[in-house]
Amino acid sequence: MENMQATFNKGRAVQAAIPIKMTSRDVTVHYGQKQALNGITLDIPERQVTALIGPSGCGKSTYLRCLNRMNDTIDSAKVGGEIRLDGEDVYDSAIDVVELRARVGMVFQKPNPFPKSIYDNVAYGPKIHGLARNKDELDEIVHISLRKAGLYKEVHDRLDEPGTGLSGGQQQRLCIARAIAVSPEVILMDEPCSALDPIATATVEELIDELRENFTIVIVTHSMQQAARVSQLTAMFHLGDLAEVGPTEKMFSNPDDKRTQDYITGRFG
Amino acid sequence: MSTPTILLIVFAISLIGAVMAYRRASTLAAAQATQLHSRPVYHASYVACWATIPSLLLLAAWLITAPILISTDIRAKIPEETLAQSELTEGLAYGIVESLGSGLRVLPADERETVTDQTPVKDLSALLRKRGVPVASAGADWMVPLAVELNALQVISRWVMTIAVIVLAGFGAGWGYKKIAPRLRARNSVEGVVRGALIAASSIAILTTIGIVFSMLFETVDFFSRISPAEFFFGTVWEPRFSAAGSTGSAGSFGFIPLLAGTLYIGAVAMLIAVPIGLFAAIYMAEYAKNRSRSVVKPLLEVLAGIPTIVYGFFALVTVGPFLRDLSTEINGLVTGNYSSFIQAQSVLTAGLVMAIMLIPFVSSLSDDIITSVPRSLRDGSLGLGATRSETIKKVVLPAALPGIVSALLLTASRAIGETMIVVLAAGVAANLTLDPFQPMTTITVKIVAQLTGDLEFDSPQTLVAFALGMTLFVITLCLNIYALYIVRKYKEQYE
Ligand SMILES: Nc1ncnc2c1ncn2[C@@H]1O[C@H](COP(=O)(O)OP(=O)(O)OP(=O)(O)O)[C@@H](O)[C@H]1O
Ligand SMILES: [Mg+2]
Repeated sequence: MENMQATFNKGRAVQAAIPIKMTSRDVTVHYGQKQALNGITLDIPERQVTALIGPSGCGKSTYLRCLNRMNDTIDSAKVGGEIRLDGEDVYDSAIDVVELRARVGMVFQKPNPFPKSIYDNVAYGPKIHGLARNKDELDEIVHISLRKAGLYKEVHDRLDEPGTGLSGGQQQRLCIARAIAVSPEVILMDEPCSALDPIATATVEELIDELRENFTIVIVTHSMQQAARVSQLTAMFHLGDLAEVGPTEKMFSNPDDKRTQDYITGRFG
Repeated sequence: MSTPTILLIVFAISLIGAVMAYRRASTLAAAQATQLHSRPVYHASYVACWATIPSLLLLAAWLITAPILISTDIRAKIPEETLAQSELTEGLAYGIVESLGSGLRVLPADERETVTDQTPVKDLSALLRKRGVPVASAGADWMVPLAVELNALQVISRWVMTIAVIVLAGFGAGWGYKKIAPRLRARNSVEGVVRGALIAASSIAILTTIGIVFSMLFETVDFFSRISPAEFFFGTVWEPRFSAAGSTGSAGSFGFIPLLAGTLYIGAVAMLIAVPIGLFAAIYMAEYAKNRSRSVVKPLLEVLAGIPTIVYGFFALVTVGPFLRDLSTEINGLVTGNYSSFIQAQSVLTAGLVMAIMLIPFVSSLSDDIITSVPRSLRDGSLGLGATRSETIKKVVLPAALPGIVSALLLTASRAIGETMIVVLAAGVAANLTLDPFQPMTTITVKIVAQLTGDLEFDSPQTLVAFALGMTLFVITLCLNIYALYIVRKYKEQYE
């Protein structure tokens, strides 16, 4: 209990200076009878990259999916606790899930482009949310999103070819472009590079670094180097608990928690 | 020995061979301390294959060719002058000889010995009848020697076959056993046999289909040599019985148009009702229903899909048809004051409606499987962008499932076109040509049944037309299925 209280305080204390975009207080998740998260308290700073690390099965994806209520799509999942976006409770009945997901976008572990053209993939979100009044505006949104995702040069002359025909790394950047196109405030990324080669990974990492200017980013990763390279804040999960959270530099140079120490030096997980 | 006994012996040999092979392979592995290329199980299967496959092929070949060889031999010995004096054809005479010959085999040994070449046919027939073997009365004395010879040939052939097959099985088992060695690629050979068996199975399916087509083709050609194709395909009057009464066919009696129109009309009405309802039910089940309700509703729908169509036919005849008729009476009465029905009890509408009820579970069950097989990641991607459920379904799930759904719908259409029972009971058998869905019409399949169940001779155009109809139906459904394949291919290329 004492330990939990300590973590609780740590979760809030670190980034007092930076404005907070999302807050979670004592978030629990049950899949049926099984508890997957045992009360996570974590603040996510605005326009920063927050990395979630931890051994497999510790609940990183589960936590990430709470932030834009993707857990609603799983019948057995039950979420408790409180999550706020700019002070609004996202699990409040007054909140429109669809609107929330437009504000908190998501990029998945496996690239999942729709079986449509590259153009239509990116235009999908803006069309649904009515972000463009005419074809020209839509074109512009698509082009800007593709540019931001660093994909424009490679695909600008074949926008009407199917998105599924791209390479894995290109597909993942297409999915990022698709998420950017709805101009979300927060982008959640669940192991976005796990299916990519080192070169594509580097491109995506660079991209994340650039996106930080405009978006708040939460990224789940299994690569310590990646967490160290792209994030400013790192949160270590362990068996459904938040083991430790702190500025990335400190986490990797001298972590407080024994579990974090063991994990980043590769002694378990 | 009877064929089942031979099979049993062959299998016993292969089983013994397999067990021995298993033992030998195991000891080889242990003794030489080398790695076997294949596990002992594969060596066992290898020997079993060698024991069964060649011997069974021989058995099959023998069973097919021996009767043919024996029959040509005996037929050649039928005395031609005697045959010419009697009223029998060669085929009939041989039939009698054969039944006498095979009857001999049924007799107990002591009775059989009393039969010689000189035995009059009367005595032989009496003997056979006593044993319950029916014999034609047209037998003649000259047939007895032939029957005796036939019987002898058959007995010899069977003995030789039995011995040959069993010896081959033993030899095959021995051959396979001798080849067992650590480096023997038994696994690859067994794989080859499995492959061959699968190819054989699929070619049997294809060959029988081709056989069916050809059997219909000859009758169809026969029909078109009597009635011109133009008359058949463009005629608008269907009255085959009428032309039978007036001896030589009067023009237009075999008009195919009313049947085609009825088939397409009823099918279209059924599809028009069944497709939206079935598809929406599938979407509900796949995307909205909670697991618990899904686990109740889906099996229920599948049970519905298994109800025999004649039951739906009853439903149409007893409930739906009269209900629609009475309903139309009421409506007509309320609107015009004239209480007469404008929907007949048997009508296109009734048949279409009831056929739709039959098709709904079919459509929804097939589409549900296809929709649920669309990967979850696509749905998540769309929902994660802030799309609603129905937007996700409309813009992502259904387009991805479209090729599958289209082929499911065309499959359903083939069913609608081929349906007979419901049409007979719900739309009647009258071959009308009308656009009014409240009138009775009928379909191709109904008329095929009608033409083949009458008391007609088997080589009159009245009967042969059934084959022409069947052939046309076959071509129509074939085109439908080819078109389905084409659509599926086209979308697959686009999406993958
Ligand atoms: N749909 C589900 N139904 C039931 N249990 C689930 C479900 N999804 C996750 N879990 C369970 O919840 C726990 C946390 O899973 P989660 O996917 O969040 O782990 P993770 O940290 O993302 O792991 P990884 O690094 O392997 O992706 C695991 O024990 C998992 O078995
Ligand atoms: Mg995960």
